[in-house]
Amino acid sequence: MSILKTDNLTYKYGVGTPFEVTALDSVNLDIEEGELVAVIGHTGSGKSTLIQHFNGLLKPTSGKVYVDGQDIWESKASLKAARFKVGLCFQYPEYQLFEETAFKDIAFGPKNMGLSDAEVKERVLKAAEYTGVTSEMLEKSPFDLSGGEKRRVAIAGVMAMEPKILILDEPTSGLDPKGRDQILHLIRNYKNETGSTVMIVSHSMEDVARYATKVLVINKSQVVSYDTPPMTFSKAEELSGYGLDVPEITKVFLELKKRGLPVRTDVYTLEFGMNELKKLREEGFKL
Amino acid sequence: MSNITIGQFFPGNSVIHRMDPRMKLVLTFIYIILIFVCKNFFALGVMVLSLIVVILLSKIPMKIIFKSVKPIMIIIAFTAVLNIFYIDDGDILFQWAFLKVTTTGVYTAIFMIVRITALVIASSMLTYTTSPTLITDGIERLLSPLKFMKNSVHTIAMMMTIALRFIPTLVDEFEKITNAQKARGADLETGTLVERAKALIPVLVPLFITSFRRAYELAFAMECRCYHGAEGRTRMKIMKYTKLDAVAALFIFIVGGGVIALNIFFEHLI
Repeated sequence: MSILKTDNLTYKYGVGTPFEVTALDSVNLDIEEGELVAVIGHTGSGKSTLIQHFNGLLKPTSGKVYVDGQDIWESKASLKAARFKVGLCFQYPEYQLFEETAFKDIAFGPKNMGLSDAEVKERVLKAAEYTGVTSEMLEKSPFDLSGGEKRRVAIAGVMAMEPKILILDEPTSGLDPKGRDQILHLIRNYKNETGSTVMIVSHSMEDVARYATKVLVINKSQVVSYDTPPMTFSKAEELSGYGLDVPEITKVFLELKKRGLPVRTDVYTLEFGMNELKKLREEGFKL
Repeated sequence: MSNITIGQFFPGNSVIHRMDPRMKLVLTFIYIILIFVCKNFFALGVMVLSLIVVILLSKIPMKIIFKSVKPIMIIIAFTAVLNIFYIDDGDILFQWAFLKVTTTGVYTAIFMIVRITALVIASSMLTYTTSPTLITDGIERLLSPLKFMKNSVHTIAMMMTIALRFIPTLVDEFEKITNAQKARGADLETGTLVERAKALIPVLVPLFITSFRRAYELAFAMECRCYHGAEGRTRMKIMKYTKLDAVAALFIFIVGGGVIALNIFFEHLI
């Protein structure tokens, strides 16, 4: 079932000033429930603008956005509903923390939803579990936590609202490899356990290849491709035309193909690549 | 917040943009004094005409010019209403209980509206056509004759530059945090005044913390580049007066002369 749909979505910044820019140009999207979508695109391609339309933070200059089949700009109620159905976690979310304790900060969203204290508590603890926030951390001031911990508290704050669609804008930027893996793992676990749809804006093709079920490519304010990772990465040349890269392992296989070996070019994970090489060896090629 | 246009810079390459910032500062100052010197509609008309000339030369769209007046609309309206009801000489146009509207009152009100609008537009023309850095540089250079307090002139100018430089950054930051909290269901638009003020806490706390962090980082970056105040500091861009500035000065001189002549010639408001 389609959970998120856009219909000729167009957005312009600074209408009527010398700085008018078209940030989104007739975007048509249809995202199925339960997908883990990676949004990739060059800096300034319109990724952040696009995701801010999904929960109604930005109003389309023209076109429509449907969440769960409901036009979100139809009424005030539908807009408010969209805010809670679509959880949006911005880039560097740790800068939005403000409460005295991490617990209270995670509870901010659920409280705004008008839930009872008991329900809020239950949700906070559940979100803390997903994100690996310990009970000790929950009692601390968010400003006393480390960078990675703050990030996880902030993500928990959005997860605690239990949105149908969780959108994260570059959740791993500025983290070390260990912190990055942690975040991506917890996001995948969250998705698998709750069955919700997740969307991640990312610059790391390796992460996209490992975690995503669908890849949404944006170039110059337009959606140019929405497909599975192998299909997306098999179009390496097209991607580099958009100023994007493919995973390192895909590059290796493209080079092998160039040198005349009969290999597939849609290889995008290390495991997949290893199997391909094994097969090649069994077929009698010397490697 | 994004509707704030006072103090915003609109890049361009018009003759007004190319003028020396010192000359622009001085002439804007003189223009504002002249607005207050005006005693009648004829003199004020000359001021408005000259302002229109400047706006046309600057090639800034009218829409943006009017946007700068929007935030002070209430003040203008308030002044007009006060003038209409407080002045009671002239012919009576309308009377109801203790409220009396006279011709002089209406004229004065219109006079005030035009005067304040011209004042605001004139000062926004300065900021629309001059980048904040150039304005503060200009102020610093204009104040440089005050040698005995040279260092503090530089410090004040630097503080102003930094403050102006960070207004857009702070507005940006404010919007970002507001969006983040809205995404978590924060309601900033409805409720009583107290409720709305309270709703701002989730925005203001992170904003303050980010500002302090930024100030600290900026100080660090300045020190890394060996910044140590005004002493022995030279400039990369040296300001020069050109023919353009002479023409502009002459223009304001003529306008000023005209205003004073009209003031003497016509004694009454209209």
